[in-house]
Amino acid sequence: MRHLLYILFIFPLLLVTSCSQNEEPVFTRYRTVFQIGDQAEWAAKDLNDRLWGNRLELVPDGQIFWSRTKIDIHKSPEALKPYGLRLEAYGEYEVFWDGVLIGKNGNPGQEADLPPEGELWITFNIPTHLTNKGEHVMALRLSNYYYPDHIGNYGLRIDDYHDLLTDRLIQNSYMHVFAGAFLIASIYFLFLFLGNKKEYLTLIFSISCLLFFGLTMTHFVRTTIPIHYSLHVIRLEVITSLMFGISFLIPLYFSMQFPYPKWKLFLGIYTAVLLFIFSIEHHLFDLTILNMTLILLLFSLCIAAFGVYKKAKGALLVLLTLLLCIFIRHYVSLNISLFTGFSLILLNMLYLLSLRIKEQRLAYENSLVQSTRLRLELLKKNIQPHFLMNTLTSLIDWIEETPKKGVLFIEALAKEFDLLNQIENQTLIPISQEIALCRAHLEIMEYRKEVNYSWEEDGIDSEQKIPPGILHTLLENGITHSLPLEDNSVKFKLLFESNGTYDCYTFLTYAEIIKQASAQRQEGTGLKYIKARLTESYHDQWEITSEPAHHGWKNVIKIYR
Amino acid sequence: MNVLIVEDELRIAKRIERMTRDIFGSTLQSLKHINTLHEALRHIENSELDLVLLDLNLNGDNGFDLLTKAVSESFHTIIISAYKDQAITAFEHGVLDFVPKPFNQDRLAQAFNRATAKEKVENSKIRFLGIKKKGRMQLVPIEDIIYIKGAGVYTELFLTDGRKELHDKSLEKLEQLLSYSFERIHKSYLVKMSEVKEINVSSGSKYMAELKNGERIPIGRTKYKDIKAKLL
Repeated sequence: MRHLLYILFIFPLLLVTSCSQNEEPVFTRYRTVFQIGDQAEWAAKDLNDRLWGNRLELVPDGQIFWSRTKIDIHKSPEALKPYGLRLEAYGEYEVFWDGVLIGKNGNPGQEADLPPEGELWITFNIPTHLTNKGEHVMALRLSNYYYPDHIGNYGLRIDDYHDLLTDRLIQNSYMHVFAGAFLIASIYFLFLFLGNKKEYLTLIFSISCLLFFGLTMTHFVRTTIPIHYSLHVIRLEVITSLMFGISFLIPLYFSMQFPYPKWKLFLGIYTAVLLFIFSIEHHLFDLTILNMTLILLLFSLCIAAFGVYKKAKGALLVLLTLLLCIFIRHYVSLNISLFTGFSLILLNMLYLLSLRIKEQRLAYENSLVQSTRLRLELLKKNIQPHFLMNTLTSLIDWIEETPKKGVLFIEALAKEFDLLNQIENQTLIPISQEIALCRAHLEIMEYRKEVNYSWEEDGIDSEQKIPPGILHTLLENGITHSLPLEDNSVKFKLLFESNGTYDCYTFLTYAEIIKQASAQRQEGTGLKYIKARLTESYHDQWEITSEPAHHGWKNVIKIYR
Repeated sequence: MNVLIVEDELRIAKRIERMTRDIFGSTLQSLKHINTLHEALRHIENSELDLVLLDLNLNGDNGFDLLTKAVSESFHTIIISAYKDQAITAFEHGVLDFVPKPFNQDRLAQAFNRATAKEKVENSKIRFLGIKKKGRMQLVPIEDIIYIKGAGVYTELFLTDGRKELHDKSLEKLEQLLSYSFERIHKSYLVKMSEVKEINVSSGSKYMAELKNGERIPIGRTKYKDIKAKLL
């Protein structure tokens, strides 16, 4: 498990290093200048564009405008290996290289009349004879009908044409595998949640994985699916919203994993801050994403630090991972650090979940052992030497003295054994059965101790169920720790009350209580058995009190609904 | 015989009582039954007893509290209990016998016989002698005792560290319990045989046992042959 975890951790790190390996570019790009209008000679290499503007604020109605960018090629391409030109630009355009038209992306100037055409990210082949070492000019004839106020600032890259095309595909294939892993995790943990709907952590983890899958897919969709520039903002909106979701879920998860005082309040404040960041400057998507990540890291760090302080399992690992994320952010680009960071955090969450699942499994196994133990304890009641040998000794005596009474004694004993056999493998039995067991026990004890034991009950609802042997245990305690009253009698009384919130059994002993015994009685094995049985059936929804009363002893068992 | 029965089950107590009367017959001077630990402790303090029959589980209390007290007294203790697994511990504390429940009259008679016939008990398990010290019970390990000297109804235990402790049991009763490793070499002395280095004969044909710590203890004339045989 540990090794697997390390491997999972190393994978995103490798991703970072492989993505950040950039070779020296073969070109230098100079300033781009703009001019509204449309003249064929503006494509020429040696045009005087000194009067052109550095930027255009607004080019309305899909008017044609031109841009020119001077580019230095440092190295001529190798034979038969032409350079390619990749552009990321808003608008539909034609590309001229040194005055020669080398590509077309949509229909500049006709956007209002024709449906959207072309892609935001597109790669052109530059004829080899135009890419000799030296100065060149790239001129674009554009129109930007959909975002007329968003003009200029292209992404531009020149490299081996083949590499330009394949690099992105290779990267994309990795990222798809990566995303697929999180999709599978998401589905798996969703099924786990559906199997146990109380485990919200698995649901949160599942949703986080799904959002992360969505984020990865949306981010890398540009390689496989052509996106027209008019749709690009939608993609960014989706990415930012997914980021918002993740930024909310991760601290929620950590808060539930490492609970701290008033965590709901703090999480509320955090969400408010997150919403604030999400809404202001919303159009600056990168800034919004960056800010959301920062506050997410900060808040999660606080939670993990508190977890470490409280010595919570796994908190230290989370803390270190978060610090590592900050470290990574410092050294690589936002995008790469985002994917690496999130995958590290998600892996952490997965690790915490696995710890939790392990704990639950151990607890379950423990509960099985506990149940078996309780069952044995119940069975042991009637074969433990104190009961069995004393009963047999008395029985021998009765048989020697009055055989008829001896037979009655044996019958009483048979009755108790029979009742015990019926209930031994159950966790809840009808109260009437438990009372029958108590009465049978009293009959036996009457023969043994020659005390007049009597049993009274009041308000018993025979429909009610109760863990086996708990009243029997109280009865045994009552018999053991008490001496008969002056008329040689001991009376036991069972009362039942029920209201909206709890069922209450009151078990009273009317006898003379042996004084020294009362201290030990508080935590005897009998009481431990009762508590374990109550916990088994009602978890912590019960209460038991055991105390002296003026008439003898009083036990109260409350079972909350 | 003054006998005390400590038993919280009335039917069983009656059975013991009946059998005790049968076995001892006219030699029984007094017989009392008590069913709580507290009362039993008080009774032991204030009565002359020869034999205590003790149940180890009284109303949920551990009878060993009473046991440690009982074994330090002058009387012998016989345990009658359902817990056979406690027999070894009981013997370690120096009880005369352990009668497991359910029992019959023969088994009880056998136990009583040990007490009355002064027969030696093959109790190799005894590990302690209980002594009273400043009102508290203390258990002295048998291996710490070198020899025991009779002092009237009491005895003095001489220990390896040079200390001397007083014990309430008579030399006869201790001889019964300790016969496994101790020998009565004189009417007033009970000596652990493993501590005897050699036997010296001094003037007037007085026989003395020289112990490993250098002490010399007289050997009774009638005992000399036996002791010499055992030492060889």
